Amino acid sequence: MFDTFRRWSKERHSYAKEWKQRTGGKVLGYFCTYVPEEILYAAEVLPVRILGSHEPSDLTEPHIFGGMFCPFSRDCLAQGLKGRYDYLDGLMIAQSCLHIRQTFASWQKHRPVDFSYYLCMPHNVQSPHAEGYLAGELSQFKEAVEEWTGRKIGTNELNSSIETYNKSRRLLNAVYATRKQENPPLTGEEAMEMVVSNQLTDKSEHNRALEELLKGLPERKLNRPTGTRLMLIGSENDDIPFIRMLESLNATVVVDEHCTGTRYFWNEVDSGEDALRAVARRYVQRPPCPTKDWMPRRRIEHTLQLAKNYQVQGALLIQQKFCDPHELDIPAVRSALEGAGIPTLFLEFDVTVPIGPFKTRCEAFLEMLQQEEDLF
Amino acid sequence: MEGGKILSQTKVLTGLETRQAVEAAFEEALRTAGVSKNNVGRIVVTGVGKQEFPFEHVEVSEVKADARGVIFLFPAARTVIDVGAEEGRGIKCSAEGKVVDFTLNEKCAAGTGSFTEAMARALEVPVEKLGGLSRQSTQAIPMNAQCAVFAESEVVSLLHAKTAKPDIARAVHEAIASRISSMVRKIGVEKEVLLIGGLAKNAGFVDALKTDLGLEVFVPQEPEFVGALGAALIAEGES
Amino acid sequence: MPKYKTEPLKCWQKAKEIRANYYRDYAQAKEKGGLRWCGGAWSFGAIPAGLGDDVYPLTGEPYAASIAWDKEFSTQCLEAVERKGFARDLCSYMRNYWGSILLNRYVFGGPFPKPDFVWQDHICCSHAKWYQVASELEGGIPMFCIDVACGPYSEINQNKLDYVVGQMHDGIEWLEKITQRKYDDEKLIAAVKDECRSTSLWAEVCLLNKAIPAPLDEKSMFSLYVLGTLMKHSPVVADFYAEMRDEVKDRVARGIAAVPDERCRLMSDTQPPWGFLKVFRYLEEFGALSIGSLYTFGLIGMWEDQPDGSWGPKKTPQEKGMEIKDRDTALRVLAEWNLAKPEWQHFYSPRHKSEMMIRIAKEWKVNGIMLHYNRGCEGLTLGIAENRLDLVKAGFPVMTFEGNMGDEREFDVEMVSSRIDAFLENLNLKKL
Repeated sequence: MFDTFRRWSKERHSYAKEWKQRTGGKVLGYFCTYVPEEILYAAEVLPVRILGSHEPSDLTEPHIFGGMFCPFSRDCLAQGLKGRYDYLDGLMIAQSCLHIRQTFASWQKHRPVDFSYYLCMPHNVQSPHAEGYLAGELSQFKEAVEEWTGRKIGTNELNSSIETYNKSRRLLNAVYATRKQENPPLTGEEAMEMVVSNQLTDKSEHNRALEELLKGLPERKLNRPTGTRLMLIGSENDDIPFIRMLESLNATVVVDEHCTGTRYFWNEVDSGEDALRAVARRYVQRPPCPTKDWMPRRRIEHTLQLAKNYQVQGALLIQQKFCDPHELDIPAVRSALEGAGIPTLFLEFDVTVPIGPFKTRCEAFLEMLQQEEDLF
Repeated sequence: MEGGKILSQTKVLTGLETRQAVEAAFEEALRTAGVSKNNVGRIVVTGVGKQEFPFEHVEVSEVKADARGVIFLFPAARTVIDVGAEEGRGIKCSAEGKVVDFTLNEKCAAGTGSFTEAMARALEVPVEKLGGLSRQSTQAIPMNAQCAVFAESEVVSLLHAKTAKPDIARAVHEAIASRISSMVRKIGVEKEVLLIGGLAKNAGFVDALKTDLGLEVFVPQEPEFVGALGAALIAEGES
Repeated sequence: MPKYKTEPLKCWQKAKEIRANYYRDYAQAKEKGGLRWCGGAWSFGAIPAGLGDDVYPLTGEPYAASIAWDKEFSTQCLEAVERKGFARDLCSYMRNYWGSILLNRYVFGGPFPKPDFVWQDHICCSHAKWYQVASELEGGIPMFCIDVACGPYSEINQNKLDYVVGQMHDGIEWLEKITQRKYDDEKLIAAVKDECRSTSLWAEVCLLNKAIPAPLDEKSMFSLYVLGTLMKHSPVVADFYAEMRDEVKDRVARGIAAVPDERCRLMSDTQPPWGFLKVFRYLEEFGALSIGSLYTFGLIGMWEDQPDGSWGPKKTPQEKGMEIKDRDTALRVLAEWNLAKPEWQHFYSPRHKSEMMIRIAKEWKVNGIMLHYNRGCEGLTLGIAENRLDLVKAGFPVMTFEGNMGDEREFDVEMVSSRIDAFLENLNLKKL
């Protein structure tokens, strides 16, 4: 199954083009996990998350000032400028951080698509007014999607779409739950491939693959020692070479708190009578991006709970260089984890990472953790 | 220069004593041309440290001087790329050698000659041999996208991992070329593209730049003199 | 022989006094049982005004800019924050401000005066987080923050306005609870009116800079627009801007220039490098000056289309004959007034900002544009590369210079000066 996930990730563009041909449907590319995919899916649109390709690029400097905006946002824009997403019918963003908004704006300007939408996802998710406000915005968005696709999104269509998405979230959670075991039946790398591919494919198809995977998973034996149990915390992280290197050092990533990981799929839409409002509620209540984590903080409590439930021994703080929202949280996250007895290693990520120097840091960190184990 | 013809040109290593180096170069140029100081009509100075020139002169920016010099040598040039030891510049010029737009390297994305000097030391080859070495490469290795300092530590790791030196040399050139093309794209790249400055003598870098831009890149015979030539032309033009 | 006559501004002294009083009043607030609050300059300051006449704010951005002027103190602040584990590329205002707390030093002397509550709004990624951290550094201060990111004003609707106003109502209930004071709607209404007045008047002042020669240069304008960032809802600021407008009008009538050798008009963008405002003086050596920017015009100033199609001051509700009789109306007026702020529009697309910048460049007859690629503020540097492309396409010469409004370690004066030399040389300007 993991080969399938890997293939879907690697051949994301062929997948989408082939899906278009097969179904005759439209494909929409989106940038942020606050995008209410359920509404698009209900109109038979395939939403695909736009991610970078981890290749250094020199095309984005005229559009995004590289000296202060995050590498992920520039890497995504490079994909658009290189024409790799020319098959997209739609483009969308739900506002969270500033950096990626530039990607959306420049893409819209220089590689325009038929349908593009900026959703004003609220930041004050803790305000009692947020849900009602978002429901209003979603209603407007729904109408725009109906007009674009020529398809009516009725209660049945929306409920059916919500059920598919909820199922996906349940299945991913179920797979993650197996990683709580003393010897998890999948590596962090495999989990990353699974979750990333989930954001790039038709959920119905991915759900079938997940169900197949779950059949044999609890008994699956990896021919490798689990080693030190690690957690990855950060913003966007789909760097496979890095996690592969990390897990070659007698360690396994057992859980994560970042937006290409659990933050994407964590909670379901509840079965409220008003489906649209229920969708709004799900996005308002989900584990927050730091830009929306105020007042007070909720993300840290959630992170600590995950660390506890998965018996994490050490945490890697994967910081995308220049990403202000996550940088703002770093001292508080660090302090909370270390206060709970979980040492942390901070690493600054870019489009490509210097594997050699990073290996040195990870080795030293793991030695330090293993040393502590040896003492007892 | 006299009547549009170059009488002499000299190059002196600046070191820390800019003023002394400048004076020495000036004296040498006069000597080679067989011209006495009194017979010099007009002096125009450009480049870093131009204010150190001790005799009466007019100053012009490197940007203006580069554009003038390039058009004189190559009238079809419209994009000038000047990569020296510590600065990279991109200049868009008109057919008359006037500057239409320009851009310079910014922090955190700089690509300059001093990087090759450091890399040549790490690879234990003389810097003049670095270009030739990279041409022997058989495979591309992507280097860290953002920070040249990190890229430098990556090179050390690559060496320890026994990566072939030509491949590393090529990666270094590609990294600089990528930063330079990124910078030049801000002003738009228009044919013909001329490359000047010290790094233009590095064939490996020139190859990488051509590939990156997807365009032919022309290099004049003595690329490090073009700025001075431009300044001399401006002096002639104004007398 | 200079081209034009010049005179210093008469209102300069009064401006300095207003600013000095503001910072003194904040520090001494507790001596008479008053309240202190802190928050962003974009906060809805008119709302806490309803708690009484002895409520004193400290707005973060101008306070942090004041720190940045003092390069030595600023470096100490920044280093203290870095020791705490915060990244160097975070907003430099925020870092200067936190440093002041960590070092327990008020830049105007004495220990840092601890606020009673935080009253903030959230427009960029960092705004709410800035004060979340500040509150934590102070051992926990009650904080309320209003989300205003509901899209460009051109797309405003009832749902969006209700969201902002709903939070405002909640905010007032919260203020009453934590201060144990009864809220006075009359004071709110007066503050809202004064805010509309001061911001409209500032636009009138900026409008007068269309004159040739310009009566004001941007460097001077920075020191004067800042009063609006301190307390735009205060009658003191509104009255001052009225006085200033009259004086500048008089300067235009008499042909008084800010720069007596004015021969080149430029426009800038984003906050200036506060520790290096001398680059603006450097322009004058060429007979050039900056006549303003969207930042100086549109962060405090409120604008709208005039009958003749030009850009001019936004008419206040009072001027339109609108009555504000109750709390809800006051809040709605305040919300809508601010949501139309020019410097809030580019958060949704650079297109909005490019349109306004091109408009200013044309109407104020600008010869060239200097863009400060300000590494200290993601919010205002957002989309600046696309703005640059749009300005170039519109036919304006543009130069960029990298820097930082609040972190002097990231500003290279020599480099910027030599770029200015090359840029002005290209505009056929030599030093006078």
